[in-house]
Amino acid sequence: MAEKKETLLVSLRNITKVYGHHRALHEVSFDLYPGEVHCLVGENGAGKSTLIKILSGAITPDQGEICIQGQCFRALTPRQAITLGVSTIYQDAELVDSLTVADNIFLGSEQSTRFSFIVDKKAQFVRAQEIINTLHLPLEPSLLVEELSSSQRQMLQITKALYREAKILIMDEPTSALGLEEKRALMEIIRTLKSQGIGIIYISHYLEEIFEVGDRVTILKDGTSMGTYRISEITIEEVVRKMVGRDASAFFSRRLVPLGEVCFEVKNLTKKGLVEGVSFAVRRGEIFGLGGLVGSGRSEVVHLIFGALPLDQGEIWLGGKRGMIRSPQDAIRQGIALIPEDRRKMAMLLGRDLVENTALVHNDIFRGPILYRKEEMTMTQDIIRKLTVATQSETQLIEELSGGNQQKVVIGRWLLDGYEVYIFDEPTKGVDIGAKERIYELMVELAEQGKSIIMISSSMPELLSMSDRIGIMRQGRMVDIVESKSVTEEYLIRAFIGV
Amino acid sequence: MKKNRLAEKNALFRNQWFFLLVVEIGLAIVTGIVNPRFFTTSNLMNILEQVAVLGIVSSGMTLLIISGEIDISVGANIGLSSCVMAMMMKAMRFSFLPVAVGILLAVGNSFLVGITSRGFKAPSFITSLAFISVFQGIALAITKGSFQTIYGQFETIGMTRVAQILPLSFIISIGAYLFVHFLLSQTKLGRRIYSVGSNPQAAYLSGISVAHTKLTAFFLNGLFVGIATMVLLSRIGAAQPSTGTGLELRAIGAVVIGGTPLSGGKGRIIGTLFGVFLMGIISNTLNMLRVNPYFQEVTFGLLIIASLAVSVLSSYGKTR
Repeated sequence: MAEKKETLLVSLRNITKVYGHHRALHEVSFDLYPGEVHCLVGENGAGKSTLIKILSGAITPDQGEICIQGQCFRALTPRQAITLGVSTIYQDAELVDSLTVADNIFLGSEQSTRFSFIVDKKAQFVRAQEIINTLHLPLEPSLLVEELSSSQRQMLQITKALYREAKILIMDEPTSALGLEEKRALMEIIRTLKSQGIGIIYISHYLEEIFEVGDRVTILKDGTSMGTYRISEITIEEVVRKMVGRDASAFFSRRLVPLGEVCFEVKNLTKKGLVEGVSFAVRRGEIFGLGGLVGSGRSEVVHLIFGALPLDQGEIWLGGKRGMIRSPQDAIRQGIALIPEDRRKMAMLLGRDLVENTALVHNDIFRGPILYRKEEMTMTQDIIRKLTVATQSETQLIEELSGGNQQKVVIGRWLLDGYEVYIFDEPTKGVDIGAKERIYELMVELAEQGKSIIMISSSMPELLSMSDRIGIMRQGRMVDIVESKSVTEEYLIRAFIGV
Repeated sequence: MKKNRLAEKNALFRNQWFFLLVVEIGLAIVTGIVNPRFFTTSNLMNILEQVAVLGIVSSGMTLLIISGEIDISVGANIGLSSCVMAMMMKAMRFSFLPVAVGILLAVGNSFLVGITSRGFKAPSFITSLAFISVFQGIALAITKGSFQTIYGQFETIGMTRVAQILPLSFIISIGAYLFVHFLLSQTKLGRRIYSVGSNPQAAYLSGISVAHTKLTAFFLNGLFVGIATMVLLSRIGAAQPSTGTGLELRAIGAVVIGGTPLSGGKGRIIGTLFGVFLMGIISNTLNMLRVNPYFQEVTFGLLIIASLAVSVLSSYGKTR
């Protein structure tokens, strides 16, 4: 490949990016030749998006070098990336629904007539048709974008990128919204693009696609590169094996809890387009893991259970009784607690102190309309002590704490009352090691008290070491429920992506 | 260390309204030197009387803004309610029922702003903006644009001076401040108002009914507007559709100057109290210095903009 060296389109050298305690990328190198499809695979949170964002200028790396068409940078701005020919094809973004296909292609760089302020619609139309023809796309320049299917929208984005002379196309899960026919059409387009010398970075969870369309593949795991291989020299099995496999230190060894009777059950939970007929039961003392790729419907399932999303169909049973849950209020009253995924957006009261953040759900512990400020204070101090929250005082504002301590407070608010079912959605996201262990410990303590626990997690070690059983979600369905002792990381990831 | 931190925080908090107090005293001294009549008892009581109505309206506004909502139709609401009160009094020669109806009307109006905002998922800023012209239009229609005078008929509240000195209207406004202070610091409703203003989604997922809480804030805001209408009518002895115009701006200004951000979830009534005083003293000062009344309007507008600048700058300092 030495002769191609000078024509390298992209070369990322030793890219490192650290968020707080979390190492999103560690010395990752990646390159792309003209006319090549280079695939990027890895689990949720392996660092694919971070790498792509660095290349498109949205994120500044802490270390490393970004070279595009021979020009090297420490960091890029989005504008630089575009000028250098990097273009990302998003699902739906960047298109104006009320304009035509041609107008969208030329948006921001309109062709003008002799008068510079008048758009030359005719010229745009003709030029758009030209680009569409060279790619043999089923697009009509005069159509309004709102009338396009999602696959046509994607084609329009590709057209737009080509008009702007993009040399590097990034496709992030391009087939997730496409049907079989449309997928085939996309593969065809990719081949045409390759023949025109355009380099494509292709990200997909669907490994078959990668083996169909890719030239090389780079595998990421926990922010490090597991190597780059020619597709012809590797098998699907080998790729999967490299995506998983960690040393024992990543796993938490927990105490086992004897399981009691079934305390919580859902039957045929359905929400059109999001969740299809999900059923499972959780016993007292059990930790039931919910695994799957991002977008597989995991969070939607728990939001349906908690009443934050209205159910289309399905039943929820609590302790042998049918639960009627139409709002979070109902869920809480019937003994369900939810610790949501995004604590800043969905759980924290910014600008308020720890007492108010802890006592948030417990307005009804005491009767009457008046607050019991002294008791609240003592309860908060108890929680701070119990969960070892690092804080100067209970009157500190919650945003002044570290991520792990914020999470402890958010969890702590559900410990004052007796709940039967605890739902944790990504309980240790953005949390440091120490806090992580304390949270795991707490989950086991809750199990020992006979609570039922549902835990969503994107972290394989967490899912495998904490859960008794794991429900596997794929495209809105629960495709399997497995004993976590009897499965491996490799088995899980295969089940998530369906190979 | 813990005590230190608390003390530090208290000092910080004190600074906020302490700053206002210092400005107010400074203004008073300057005015007093230019025009010694400023410090006469009658003038000081006059100021207290003048800020009473603004204080009551601002108390309700504080609740509403902390809950993450706003009502800019309070001025028009006062106009309509006071016209209805005055017309009924004229017709009935009896004041209890008209006052009750007027207050209920004010509550209903504010509630309507809240309901439409929740129901149509529109910001309350927009719905209340629309209701300004609804309220004013109705007031103009029922009065045919004319003055409704009730001189001598309903003067007790406006004219009474407790112990021959303190205006009763001012005592009522103090009652409003105390009520809001108690509500915000000691009750579950107050806690919920802060939580829906700070993060409605978190509040919802914690089992708090966001709609219920915000509508309660609108209800209370209407109640305060109704009481303010009663006090104002009693003091002036007449009503017209334009009564109360401009009061919304001063009330919002007083709340913001008092340190309650328009983004909601934060703030205390004591800040509003000093914000209202600042408005009153500036108004009185400008009168004493014989500044053209049109320029007084300009001054209030600029003051509110300055207070927004201060709040942006102080939060900028914190995030750094």
